Amino acid sequence: MQLRPEFPLPDVDWEETREFWAAAARGELCVPRCAGCARLVWYPEKRCRVCGEERFTWVRMSGRGRLFSWSVVRHAFLPQFAAKLPYVAGLVALEEDPAVRIVSNLIDCAPEELAVDMPVEAVFRPLEFPGVERRVLAPMFRPVEAGRRR
Amino acid sequence: MSAPAAAGDWGFATPYEDVSGEVAIVGVGESDHSKASGRTTRQIATQAARRAIADAGLEPSDIDGLMYTPIAAEFDERAFREEFGVRHDMWVSRAGGGMVWAGSAPYDAALALRAGKAKYVLNVFAVAWATQRTQMVGGPGESHAQELFKQNLEVPFGWFPQPVYFATIARRHMHEFGTTEAQLGAVAVACRRHANLTPAAVMRDKPLSLEAYLASPKIADPFRKEDCCLISDGGGAYVMTSRERARDLARPPIEVAGVGLGNSVTGVHWAEQPAFTSTPQVFAAPGAFAMAGLAPSDVDLLTVYDPFTIHAIMQIEDIGFCKKGEGGPFVEGTALHFDGGVLPYNTHGGMLSHAYVLGIAHVVEVVRQLRGEAAAQVPGAEVGIYGGYTGPQASTLILRRGA
Repeated sequence: MQLRPEFPLPDVDWEETREFWAAAARGELCVPRCAGCARLVWYPEKRCRVCGEERFTWVRMSGRGRLFSWSVVRHAFLPQFAAKLPYVAGLVALEEDPAVRIVSNLIDCAPEELAVDMPVEAVFRPLEFPGVERRVLAPMFRPVEAGRRR
Repeated sequence: MSAPAAAGDWGFATPYEDVSGEVAIVGVGESDHSKASGRTTRQIATQAARRAIADAGLEPSDIDGLMYTPIAAEFDERAFREEFGVRHDMWVSRAGGGMVWAGSAPYDAALALRAGKAKYVLNVFAVAWATQRTQMVGGPGESHAQELFKQNLEVPFGWFPQPVYFATIARRHMHEFGTTEAQLGAVAVACRRHANLTPAAVMRDKPLSLEAYLASPKIADPFRKEDCCLISDGGGAYVMTSRERARDLARPPIEVAGVGLGNSVTGVHWAEQPAFTSTPQVFAAPGAFAMAGLAPSDVDLLTVYDPFTIHAIMQIEDIGFCKKGEGGPFVEGTALHFDGGVLPYNTHGGMLSHAYVLGIAHVVEVVRQLRGEAAAQVPGAEVGIYGGYTGPQASTLILRRGA
């Protein structure tokens, strides 16, 4: 399999998701809004599948949402994740439009305390992998309560 | 194909002409199934094809139509000619193979037979993913890792590979409908019991009880290892012809009563699929039943493409054997067992316990059941279904014992 040497880091220069990762580097969660029908479009589309518009504007989200679902991963399906086990990967439905679900990690919370639809908020943490020098700042999510406790 | 008009519309049915009763499956064959074996895909496909052609009582020179998929396959018309020493022209379709296409291939074959493009059509599929995985290539994860949205929005967070995202779907199903781990386990146990009775099954000699299932550790919570399909070397093939020609052949013809194809506009991006706990069977099944003039209550056995236990529950709901959300209670206990179950299911063991050959063996199993020659035979089975699935698409293939 031909993969980039920095896999599983994202390719922050890939045009379809470049704005997402550029926003994350600024500590912002941004998704594209269709210039035609004004819906938030996720994943990014070249042409809006609802109205056919080809222009989009990346807009900043609040970072708040609800935990839609998740898995507690206890097996290293990819060797690069072995040091992170167990970790929680799942989906967050954004407050601005719950149809937009962001794939991310749930952090600062024991897996057994997670609950479907619990309020979560974005925090920006580096993705880092053994053997890969570069790090990439990414939106991750924690329970809102955990943030308040700090 | 029409595009959906609203954001919440997530799929549609491919319009199919009525081909009910036009085509029959007249020969089936499986390769030897195994863990890593050192065999190539082409060797496996050739063995399965040879057996299917022999089962039909035909010669390779009779096969003038070939269906395969360019995905995970090294078996095309050139390979067919080389392996079988034939030189004749063939009608060739790359819309065949396993997965969703193991269910939809009979539709394309029916149109080719109707148009006189071929008389005997072979559909073949094989994988050597168990062997390839030991060489760090191939397998279900690789194909998904190369998809760039997944590579850039999912993989960096470890929402990868398939066990992780389908565990996420399973948890949501549990939340919305109260589905339990024991209900997922009932699927795994039924499949294993059937595999224990099936000589060709990879897990033939390894029993599984619900207690042992529940006591086993989770690998991608809520999934345990036994919720996940095997990784195998193996394949299968089947031969199709017109109903008229089928009557002259060695085996009792198994007719294609109905077939349907459903599509999801969100494809392999399950994170954005609006109906998160559904499959495109909701779009495929109604057309298949309408074409067949049958209802779910007429079905004697079901096989579905089953990468994970949750796919049994979701597809049983989506094909219409129960209401959405009632799949968990539906599969409890022995409901899916071949002997006395409400809906005998993956009676060869499925991809969980027979072999991960991506659905082609499911179609072979339905044919054997309807002929009355299966290992875990459902008494008097007359109507059986294969539900194919890739994520972006699902197919419903309704087979019926010929008159």
